[in-house]
Amino acid sequence: MSVWRFEAIGTSWEIETSAPLPAVARSAVEELLAAFDAAWSRFRDDSLVAALARGAGSVPAPRDAADLLETYAALSDATDGAVNPLVGASLERLGYDTAYSFAASVPVPAPADWRERVRLDDGHLTVAEPALIDVGAIGKGRLVDRVAALVATHVDGDLVVDASGDLAVRGRPVRVGLEHPFDPTRAIGVWTVADAALCASATNRRSWGDGLHHVLDARTGGPVRAVAATWAVAPTAMRADAIATALFFDGGARLAHEWGVQWVRMLTDGRVEWSPGCGAEVFGATASVEP
Amino acid sequence: MTRAPHRSVIRLGALMGVAGALGLTACTPESSAGAAGGSEEFADGTYSAEGSYSTPETVETILVTVTLADGLITDVDVEGSPQRPESEQFQGEFIGGIADEVVGRPIDDLVVSRVAGSSLTSGGFNQAIERIRVEASEAAG
Repeated sequence: MSVWRFEAIGTSWEIETSAPLPAVARSAVEELLAAFDAAWSRFRDDSLVAALARGAGSVPAPRDAADLLETYAALSDATDGAVNPLVGASLERLGYDTAYSFAASVPVPAPADWRERVRLDDGHLTVAEPALIDVGAIGKGRLVDRVAALVATHVDGDLVVDASGDLAVRGRPVRVGLEHPFDPTRAIGVWTVADAALCASATNRRSWGDGLHHVLDARTGGPVRAVAATWAVAPTAMRADAIATALFFDGGARLAHEWGVQWVRMLTDGRVEWSPGCGAEVFGATASVEP
Repeated sequence: MTRAPHRSVIRLGALMGVAGALGLTACTPESSAGAAGGSEEFADGTYSAEGSYSTPETVETILVTVTLADGLITDVDVEGSPQRPESEQFQGEFIGGIADEVVGRPIDDLVVSRVAGSSLTSGGFNQAIERIRVEASEAAG
């Protein structure tokens, strides 16, 4: 196997292929990542979402806009509004702004009517009044899907695209350790992933910029606190990423059920839950009780 | 169906490795107070300090309580105050199972090619331990 490691969107990537990736393929991957970042990064002054936040009103819709907004709509419905792409202002209010000021002030809820404010029409992405769109809950998963699809057009055979916690596997199955959120030297279980994607959420470096991206409850603008780490396996990394986020909120397990996504999550008190029929091996699960 | 109380103690084993790296020593036979902490002396007793760490949604606070005897850590408790994420009515239908306080296994002992996740509390645990270290050192001085 050949492994290509690099940094992009503020996180470490590894692309493992059966044969070395030709230079043209690497260039194509780099272009894809750069274009995605230029569209969606809320940590860059020159991104499209930054322009919309400054009042640009309408911009040519980035390629992923339709799928991302559709998935956010499903997340928002399932979690009763806890997941919301306009949570960006709430994040900034808590100090997770582009300057990482960490000067937290009173939390502000994200606008509940985000679907009225963010529209996709005629190839244009429009916000009714200046608003910061944040696709952090699913953006990295989406990117993993696109990179995996792109790489597969250049090389045949086994493939792993791993963006530090969000990974897609084609061909030979990969055994993935589920890192203990309280102790990076330990794993709470192992999940064998075959022709699917696994996304983990737990991390305080889960997104781009410097990766200080925190999932807030959009209804309050403030944090919720119960779940320490989540893992989800789905056919696409975007959906796995979406469920990994939704599992922090009421309704996440139901959406996973509707989408047929398997999951494991660790609560902040050390307990571990998993989905019905979950394929992961959770250490200590013999002591489990079925609720 | 019984539920654990919201305040619960995280198992010691998962965290002792972190303590060992901080200059305080774990209660393993081969450890000694001076091994990592130089000539520093600590007053025996039970110390508590708060530390915080970031989860994807928030900054969590944990309370770390350490008991020192003869300069060695003989007990560590870590308390958090998590809230339930899921309404009770959802649990039976969409949750397949639950295990209490999973301590896990050392990753070095596993045959895995990748690891997914990211440690959360070690920073907060380190903060709390450092405060306790200073306090116990001052108490000894």
